[in-house]
Amino acid sequence: MLVKLVDLFSFLSVVLRAGTLVFQSVLLGGVLFVLWTARSSPAASEESIARVRASSWKLLRLSAVGLAIVQLLYLYVDSAVLMASADIGFSGVVGANFFISGSIVLVAALFTAIVASGNKKVASWALPVLTVVIMAASVMTNHAASRLEGRPLLITLSSIHELATGFWIGGLPFLVLGLYRAKDIDTRWYITERFSRMALFSVGALAISGLILSVIYIGSWGAILGTAYGIMVLAKVTMLGALLILGGVNFLLLRDYPKDQVMPRLRRLIEAEVGIGITVILTAASLTSQPPAVDQVSETVTPAQVWHRFKPEPPRLAYNFIPETDAATGKPLPPPNATAVNIDGVPLTPRFINNTIESESNHHWMGLVVLAMGLLALLARTGKVRWAEYWPLLLIGIAVFIVLFADTECWPIGWKSVGACFADPEVFQHRMAALVCVGFAVFELRVRKQKKENDPWAMVFPLMCALGGAVLLTHQHAISNVKENSLVELSHVPMGVIAVFAGWARWLELRLPEENRAIPSWIWPMCFVLIGAGLLNYREM
Amino acid sequence: MPAIFLLLLVASATQICWAHAILMESSPRINSTISGPDVDITLRFNVRIDGGRSRVLLVAPDGTSSALTLSKQDKPDILQMRASGLKPGPYKLQWKVLASDGHMSNGDVPFTVK
Repeated sequence: MLVKLVDLFSFLSVVLRAGTLVFQSVLLGGVLFVLWTARSSPAASEESIARVRASSWKLLRLSAVGLAIVQLLYLYVDSAVLMASADIGFSGVVGANFFISGSIVLVAALFTAIVASGNKKVASWALPVLTVVIMAASVMTNHAASRLEGRPLLITLSSIHELATGFWIGGLPFLVLGLYRAKDIDTRWYITERFSRMALFSVGALAISGLILSVIYIGSWGAILGTAYGIMVLAKVTMLGALLILGGVNFLLLRDYPKDQVMPRLRRLIEAEVGIGITVILTAASLTSQPPAVDQVSETVTPAQVWHRFKPEPPRLAYNFIPETDAATGKPLPPPNATAVNIDGVPLTPRFINNTIESESNHHWMGLVVLAMGLLALLARTGKVRWAEYWPLLLIGIAVFIVLFADTECWPIGWKSVGACFADPEVFQHRMAALVCVGFAVFELRVRKQKKENDPWAMVFPLMCALGGAVLLTHQHAISNVKENSLVELSHVPMGVIAVFAGWARWLELRLPEENRAIPSWIWPMCFVLIGAGLLNYREM
Repeated sequence: MPAIFLLLLVASATQICWAHAILMESSPRINSTISGPDVDITLRFNVRIDGGRSRVLLVAPDGTSSALTLSKQDKPDILQMRASGLKPGPYKLQWKVLASDGHMSNGDVPFTVK
């Protein structure tokens, strides 16, 4: 029971760490936005900029309170894990590094909320001070602080990296809000242009510091694909690349088009930037919970091992199980042959092989369905095959598949009764997922057939796609079976990134002005095709 | 849709055992055979360790476990201790450490006393 509780709290700790990083970034971005980006100017309408500033101060206060709350929960959860794991009292926890730094962030966040509610002249000097305090305390709990060598350089680079992330990605929600609150096009133009200038500088700082940190923490080309750490960094870089493309489009729009034509597109593109940006921060939080690749040289998966696992092979659609026990004696059988070994050369038992066959087959069947959905969505996009518009019906196929095959011991094909099945939390989870699939099918069909694109419910589907991808990128990582788990990451992480892209591409298709929807409307079905192909080639041995 | 999948994938993904302090070197080494009855133990990690909030248990051949007293830390990445009166048989060190960045890690070092 205690072990399960510690596991649950360890998982919560990763989620809360991600939450603190997101709120911290938004707070940093907000401070720069209210003190610099949205300053009064003759270039902007006085009334309009006052509205922008008022809403920005409000969002800054909210992000400060949010940071304080999440930090408090994080402290509570981490303290509980430490007290249970190391068998020490609360007084023993109080002096721990994470507790001191977390308490400093908590107090500084509360002060930020108070300062942001009061005299703005005081805020103009107090907020930068509080920002430095939060940054310094935050850096105390990242990889740089715990390294043995080169700490000053690593801490400096980490600080630059976190600050640049906050100023750019954390500032984006303020820009989106500002664009909504500004009444006139000149004010919108003014804040966008100032933000873009700052963002350009931040991106440079982010990229240079990130590159140096990656070289130090990853250590070799082979570790990029050969370790979970390297794979996660690659995912971050890929999403950052997408952000840069969106940023580049914004830059060209600002440069080449008249203000009134640009603004509607710009706002929607920035919304997608916010979503992908927050996912990048969540991925960064996940990275802090695992050892740098440079510390796992002997556990790095080789390119040959990666190829062996992921070389294209026909999908396993039949459940060809092997015998697990001797029919005559009833005793467990030994490993079937010399080639059935895991990545470390340990022989696989018949039970393990059968579990893997079941898991791989399930993934491959799902892959077929997702691939079909992607292809049908592409066909529907051509506008020439009208019946392909009904691709969401395949979601109901997935629901049926989950009910029948996710838990083969359960009703309707297994021996367990309906009541006994629903009492099992895992089965319950699966059945709920099936129900959600049916719900999605109904919603998406409604959106497509009745053209309800401005309906808020239309956003549920893209947001769930993006959220699913983000969760996959944020989940906790194993330190046991390191090589095997690196291969698991290598199969899961690309699907997470592609799902994030699918979600935000669909979001853009729904939100952009009609004449600008062409590119995103092709991107998300292609993402489905890629996820389907990835699932079809998913393997665990 | 991919969301459902991806959530299912997460649920079925890796075993839960996250952290980032990892054991780089140990004495006795993992699965080694050493002479008793008194054994000096050293654990070296990849990052700075908060020794005051870390624990090492010794699991005896009969399954009973006892906490070992850690020596004062000379180096930030190393924990040292001594186990006395060990009879021949298989033992296991179970370590749980707090890295200075706040992450808890755990692991085992099995060894045999001849």
